[in-house]
Amino acid sequence: MKQHLIWLLALGLGGWGLPVLAHGLTVEYRQVSRVEIEARFETGEPMANAQVLVYAPNNPTVAWQNGNTDDQGRFSFTPDTAQPGNWEVMVRQAGHGDLTTIPVGASAAADSADVEVAANSLISPSTGLSPIQRGLTIGSVIWGCIGTALFFARGKR
Amino acid sequence: MQRNTFKLAAVGVLGSVTLVMLPGCGSSSPTATAPETAAPASANGKTGTLLIRANGEDFVREGFTTKDGWEISFDHVYVSLADITAAQTDPPFEPEAGGKLEAQTEVKAVGPEVIDLAEGDAAADPIAVTAIEAPPGHFNALAWRMVPAESGPSVGSSIWMQGTATKDGSTIPFTIKVNEELAFTCGDFVGDERKGILAAGDQADLEATFHFDHLFGDGSAPADDGINTGALGFDPIAGLAQNNVVDVDSAALQARLSETDYTTFLAILPSLGHVGEGHCQEMNLTAL
Repeated sequence: MKQHLIWLLALGLGGWGLPVLAHGLTVEYRQVSRVEIEARFETGEPMANAQVLVYAPNNPTVAWQNGNTDDQGRFSFTPDTAQPGNWEVMVRQAGHGDLTTIPVGASAAADSADVEVAANSLISPSTGLSPIQRGLTIGSVIWGCIGTALFFARGKR
Repeated sequence: MQRNTFKLAAVGVLGSVTLVMLPGCGSSSPTATAPETAAPASANGKTGTLLIRANGEDFVREGFTTKDGWEISFDHVYVSLADITAAQTDPPFEPEAGGKLEAQTEVKAVGPEVIDLAEGDAAADPIAVTAIEAPPGHFNALAWRMVPAESGPSVGSSIWMQGTATKDGSTIPFTIKVNEELAFTCGDFVGDERKGILAAGDQADLEATFHFDHLFGDGSAPADDGINTGALGFDPIAGLAQNNVVDVDSAALQARLSETDYTTFLAILPSLGHVGEGHCQEMNLTAL
């Protein structure tokens, strides 16, 4: 029997919100990036109480988190955004399993890649002259030429 | 006056030379920090070994009870494997998503191999099929074809099952010779441990897994479980016995099974191939 994993939610931004004070208590909240999965067989039956193993990009061998789906085949986890890349989620039950990959921080990773490329693209032009250097050089060369011309144009004493 | 003119000219020339050299100084830092393109580890001789295994699981080595109550014991289950290809894919290939396998790195085994999945006891490792030298990385896809064997005991068959089936005191020796050619393309291994993660100088396993319970069903599972509702069982096969022996190939199955049972049989073949518990795309028979 085949099963499918459905990703219900994989959105959210990090950041602490302002505390809410009530009778001396402090309640703080933080929005986090959470991934929710829903696993079901192709018949539509939920994979209830299935084993879930979550693997982080920097260690695909040892599970970063494990748990079980609920009776609706649902499971959620909050990936560590400090580890951008492909997070893998394995869901297993009674000899059947599936593994799916969730890109986390892909846009951030892409941005990082862009920054790196941009930095490199700046490195290459820097082997030439900056506008100021170019202006000073041209001016100096002209001044040097004038001086040289005046030197050879000087008359004999 | 002329002396002053000479001095001005000298200052100008020196200034020009100095300014021309400035960019060179400025560029020294970026040049030093520019990323270097590392040669692939494999190009430096830093490879590892991928050991491809085939596993018929306990159903084959220990036997099992079919959905219709037959005790099955296998003597031999020969499978003929060809074009075994392991790949590092990105995005990771997910066969159930129906995507295309995009290999960044792939390695192939040489030549078809016929192996006996029933070989060894229940405690033995899955059968080693072949070893392939490969660059390090995560081999998260495996593909293979099952072709009629060119030689050996199962010549002419892609799958050859031989054993006995017992029910209600009656024992039927059987030989089922499957001639259909199959081609499986699978994603990452799904099981108790991760496989295919290869470090330089090390060895990693990949496994082609075969689920024969899909064909016969599993008597230990509920009758309405998907593993049984879609299975053929053994009753239709037992019905083909002549002199209390079943010896059939695909042509005989097509000729002598009911149309419904033969259709079921054909529909099950593409689901035999797995990677552990992970599913595969079957690219040949299902495309017919």
